[in-house]
Amino acid sequence: MATPDSSIGAKLQSLPRTLLYLILLLATSLPLIYGELAGGVSVPNQPLGAAVDFYAALMKIPPGKTVLLETDWTNSTRGENGGEFDAILRILMARGIKFAVFSTADPQAPQVAMDDIATINALRVQKGQKAYVRWTDWVNLGYFPNSEGTLNALAGNLATAFNGKKDVKPGGGLVDVFESPVLKGYTKLTDIPAVILVTASATSTVMIERLSGKVPLDFMVTGVMGPETQVYYSSKQLEGLVIGLKGVYDLETLMKQGLNGQGPDAVPSQKYAGLDVPPVNDNLGTGKGSAYYPTLHFALALLILAVIVGNVGMLLTRKRTAQ
Amino acid sequence: MDLLAQAGAGLNFWNAPSGSAELIIKIVLALVLSGAFFFGLIAAPANLRRPIVGVFTFLAGLFYVTYWLWPSAIARDPGQAPLNPVEGVAFWLEDALPQVANFSNILTAFLLGLGVYSVARIHVGKLVKRQRDWEFSLVLIASMLLMILFGYWNWFNRHSPTGGLLEDPANWHFQQFASDMLFDGLLQQMDAAMFSMIAFYILSAAYRAFRIRSVEATILLAAALIVMLSLMGAVAYKWGNNSFIQTHPNLSLEAIAGWLSDNVQTPSIRGIDFGVGIGSLAMGLRIWLNLERQEAS
Amino acid sequence: MSVETYRFIKLTVGVLATLGLYSALYRENKFYRFFEHVFLGLAVGYAVVALWTETLYDLWWTKMMGSTAAVGQVATPGYWGWIVLLPIGLLGYFVFSSKNNWVSRIPIGIILGLWSGQQLQVWFTRYGPQMVKQMVPLLPTTSELFHPVTTGMTPAQVATVDSTVYVSQAITNIIVTVTFISVLSYFLFSFDLKNRFLKNATTLGRWLLMIGFGAIFGSTVMMRFTLLIDRMYFVWIEWLMKAILHK
Repeated sequence: MATPDSSIGAKLQSLPRTLLYLILLLATSLPLIYGELAGGVSVPNQPLGAAVDFYAALMKIPPGKTVLLETDWTNSTRGENGGEFDAILRILMARGIKFAVFSTADPQAPQVAMDDIATINALRVQKGQKAYVRWTDWVNLGYFPNSEGTLNALAGNLATAFNGKKDVKPGGGLVDVFESPVLKGYTKLTDIPAVILVTASATSTVMIERLSGKVPLDFMVTGVMGPETQVYYSSKQLEGLVIGLKGVYDLETLMKQGLNGQGPDAVPSQKYAGLDVPPVNDNLGTGKGSAYYPTLHFALALLILAVIVGNVGMLLTRKRTAQ
Repeated sequence: MDLLAQAGAGLNFWNAPSGSAELIIKIVLALVLSGAFFFGLIAAPANLRRPIVGVFTFLAGLFYVTYWLWPSAIARDPGQAPLNPVEGVAFWLEDALPQVANFSNILTAFLLGLGVYSVARIHVGKLVKRQRDWEFSLVLIASMLLMILFGYWNWFNRHSPTGGLLEDPANWHFQQFASDMLFDGLLQQMDAAMFSMIAFYILSAAYRAFRIRSVEATILLAAALIVMLSLMGAVAYKWGNNSFIQTHPNLSLEAIAGWLSDNVQTPSIRGIDFGVGIGSLAMGLRIWLNLERQEAS
Repeated sequence: MSVETYRFIKLTVGVLATLGLYSALYRENKFYRFFEHVFLGLAVGYAVVALWTETLYDLWWTKMMGSTAAVGQVATPGYWGWIVLLPIGLLGYFVFSSKNNWVSRIPIGIILGLWSGQQLQVWFTRYGPQMVKQMVPLLPTTSELFHPVTTGMTPAQVATVDSTVYVSQAITNIIVTVTFISVLSYFLFSFDLKNRFLKNATTLGRWLLMIGFGAIFGSTVMMRFTLLIDRMYFVWIEWLMKAILHK
């Protein structure tokens, strides 16, 4: 019977699975707890160009206008999409931009979005700010199971694409959404200053295929979708792009600092030189990006270390076998 | 043609006033006739089955192909009459587009119900036959029924004239708390937990399988390393916080990762995307024109 | 029960469910299977609710039945034709019939037909701008190596600089073009190649593809770890520190 290889190389390659899990749990827990006890940890950051474009595009939308907000995520990707959705809500609410929420990916998505809106609203009320009121400031258009058909209809005509959709009017039950202050007077897609998509699914491609070139598109996607979506940002089919946790942190940095502002933490941008893109001072505290980003360092470092350990183990074993 | 276009609010053959006996009669008649037609197709001989499916597929696709190819109306005013038959068709296609989208949404919703039916069928079967682990099937069925009960109860309340008050949790009743507990308290938290577990497996898999054994693996590892390091703002800051990098900003971690992203990663993924695009175009044509080889029965 | 008490109970239930599912990391057990089935049951149950409340009620039922005039609202007639979708949709349920399952292909065929009919139209919207982006100048228009810093220049000077192809830019453009073509050739010429040039091009394509895959791996890892960090935040910060310890 062969005896088990007890060399250092073999040992380095066969760390127990449960040990790795435990280290990962600690690496993702302890920095979070420390950050919370320390009142937040600030990490130096240089926002990526795609996130800068996203922020600048949002900041130029006139207050009072309505944007379409397609929300195609559930809590399965709350870590990334939740932070993105919080950030976009905070920017829209702080700037007084109305929004119409809809989903073409998941039946759960509209309810998740409404729960998130309620959370941000509660925070606003707690900080003495005006709550964003359903029907007056935002509406829910619901879930459309066929993404391809819905977005194709939207490309044709905004009013007919959502014809018949109703939402709750305070004291009035279900009423046609085009009667609401949010969508009243909007008929064509070009009336909308931007369509914003927060997604964890392939609806990003469906939207590119049907709406690109017809209306400014701004996407917020998960990390796994980042590289494939970057292709459309690079070909200018997207106005701006936020990718994963780094993107959320970029956006939160910009919300705090603005573009081309003053001070040591200012975010310079040659592309927007001479343009005043101010910060969003909504006073709602730090977002998920700022809370999670420092911890991501430890998790990524652990993965890099694990890969190095495995490879060193392999090289030592090879060397031993060769000898 | 008014059926698909549904352009005007006026009454015609295709509609009837809401709540009227005429509407109910028309709906029942249409249900009986269409039901007889579609369920009658079951009796079609075996050699006609594939052409039948093919005709439905082709007609469905034909709408969008026509919409794309037909000259579209320019700057159409609401209520404007078409100048000629070509423009008339263009107007009709434009008006029918949202109805066809609606059609696809409704049909997809009916077909999504198939998944629900399938899960319920399996677990009710296990429960009734007391098969192994039937207790878990009972848990599944009970959870499903509770969600349906409180979900609809909550929806009826919210869509009543006083439903707007329920935006504030202080006005909630038992059914709102129950619905929120099941959806937000359990379903969403478990959704997040289920997907977060992949992090453990990815770490374990990377540790065990990510070895520099070939040129490809080495390139992949190097690219992944640069991307991961560039995602760590503190590392990127440390890398760039010296006089050499400050005088050579193109060698900062962000610049290297950005250059790789713009000039190698993006064109390579674009290459993949083009390959996929050509494939999906070919597949689209094959499906639409019924050129797939499989048998219909 | 106050809203605050309810919120605390909700958080605690969420933490218990999270721990129940995480117990599978040690090994599969009954605690995990219980929560797994609760999860599936709730997801299926919610689909039953949402398919009607978020979709079919407005898009199908209300359009078919119309609406009567209410305060501030106009009456709309009902379009009876929408009922035809019910038997078409029900045909899909024949997929479980061993004898007549072929009819389930009719609604599926319609959905696929609607998808395939859009492919010609959407192909150009999706790939057209990318083709344009991929057309880059490969020859420099000046012998200068690098793009100069444009700070302090007049708009006319900036425009001139931006329209000039510097040597470094031309080299970068060659890399972009070679990457794109070699990756594409790797996909298009996936059969056994005899031509040495094409063989080398596909090998180069495979290597360059690895850079793309490396970036995808890096981004994927970021996402997966973020989802775990989010769960840990829920358990340690939202529940333990804020709800229990009131920190």
